[in-house]
Amino acid sequence: MIKVEHVTKRFASAKAVDDISFEVLRGEIVGFLGPNGAGKTTLMRLLATYLAPTQGRVFIDGLDVFLHSLDARRRIGYLPENAPLYPEMRVDEYLSFRAKLKGIPRRKRRERMEEMKVLCGLKDVERRIIGQLSKGFCQRLALADSLIHSPELLILDEPMIGLDPNQIRAVRELIGALGRRFTVVLATHSLAEAEAICQRVFIMNHGRIVASDSPEHLAGQLQGNVSVVAEIAGPPEEVAERLRCVSGVLTVRLVGPATSGLGRGSALWRRYQLGCHPGTDIRPAVFGIAAAQGWPLRELSLEVFELEDVFIKLTASAGRGQTSG
Amino acid sequence: MAYVIMAAFLVVAGLSFCRPLVQHLGERIGIGELLFGAPYFWVAVLAAIALITMPLFAEERRTGTLEMLLTAPVTDLQVVLGKYAGALIFFLLVTTPTAAYFILLKAVAPGMAALDWMPIFTGYLILWLIGSCFIAIGMFVSALTRSQVVAAVGCFVAVSILFFLDTVRLFLPGAAVQAALTYMSSTQHVQDFARGVVDTRPIVFYLSLAVFFVFATVKAIEARQWK
Repeated sequence: MIKVEHVTKRFASAKAVDDISFEVLRGEIVGFLGPNGAGKTTLMRLLATYLAPTQGRVFIDGLDVFLHSLDARRRIGYLPENAPLYPEMRVDEYLSFRAKLKGIPRRKRRERMEEMKVLCGLKDVERRIIGQLSKGFCQRLALADSLIHSPELLILDEPMIGLDPNQIRAVRELIGALGRRFTVVLATHSLAEAEAICQRVFIMNHGRIVASDSPEHLAGQLQGNVSVVAEIAGPPEEVAERLRCVSGVLTVRLVGPATSGLGRGSALWRRYQLGCHPGTDIRPAVFGIAAAQGWPLRELSLEVFELEDVFIKLTASAGRGQTSG
Repeated sequence: MAYVIMAAFLVVAGLSFCRPLVQHLGERIGIGELLFGAPYFWVAVLAAIALITMPLFAEERRTGTLEMLLTAPVTDLQVVLGKYAGALIFFLLVTTPTAAYFILLKAVAPGMAALDWMPIFTGYLILWLIGSCFIAIGMFVSALTRSQVVAAVGCFVAVSILFFLDTVRLFLPGAAVQAALTYMSSTQHVQDFARGVVDTRPIVFYLSLAVFFVFATVKAIEARQWK
């Protein structure tokens, strides 16, 4: 659906997007994740044909967006950052204006507008002036506008900003439902959002894509990312020594006394964090040691790193690379 | 906003129409010159044009709706022509009610000889020609900035200079330059047309300038792609 080939966008002072290439397949929901200023919005604008790349080419559905801009735009529904709207218009007026602008034939216009208002929950505010609407309604109106011409590709730039938790859930579900029919590309700096919606995540920093995969795999790719937490009552030094000898364990760290509240009984309860090789499960071995030594064991769990850890690690280290290089 | 511009313009234009009537009481004066010969009237026209054109692109740029507009499946030229047509039609709506002044004048002055419609007609012709040209200039200035105030001031200064070019001429040396400036100065054209004298040169001049600035606006909007 989207093919981006070595795209660079240079502004007077800096490269906002630096030699990016990727492909997005039809029906995928893809998220671009990155700190503020990573080049997400510029990339969305490039995809939406608002900007032209300094170098490289962008294809939407096989069409070069620079040469066949109008045909590409008919396939795109674009929701810019902050959902810009005309504050003096009414909701109905605005939708009808946008429908006309997007070339929806007169006969189908009313029908499409009704569908969009129901889909995006705008029925109650159809006569209201946009300037008086809350941020959430504005966001939904802009979303309705981006969907009104039944695009094949939906480009959303920070679609959840300014929404309350209920609305976020509603919009999330809406995007999830749409994702079955459309291809969706969204830019966000919220990890939870990317994790909840996207099948594939690109992490951006300083105009480059620093990682791309499914949220789960991305988390799994980090080196030394698997750790096991064990709570064992036994002489701390001896426990640590024994655990270190388990094959597959790289580090043993005492992470403080046992969890509070449950600490009655032995004063020897300790909590250990074991860093281990990915792909090995050391839990049976840990249990074996505890059983053999007669140390009570009351927690043994695998901790998987969250996307957040990956994000912080990637964007922080790339940032250092940039400043030193 | 639109109604405010319209009302304000009609008040100023009305005052400007009354002034020569009172001043030249009992004298003979060309009917067209009553309205189209008065500098106040033209200053009001220039101000109205600056106010009409200032939000065209500057406001859309500021609020971000330009992004919505330019990612819709329409060409930049269509967007520019649409805005130009909108502004021009509004300018016609603002200026046409001034025709009531002449009709009223005839009604309250029955002793007056039959109205000579020709200078009135040519007066409106030059008004709308100048309007179509200056609106294109205002639209261009608006496309360059995201501040409406900057757009309004920039437009007002630009069209004032163009309108009063025969005054500017006094500061420049060279007979050829002075002649050229006089030829381009709107004040000269207005005086001719207000007397009912139609010259085709200003018609071509304003229309070609209008086309040029519409084109320049399209380029200014397209420039986002290259910056």
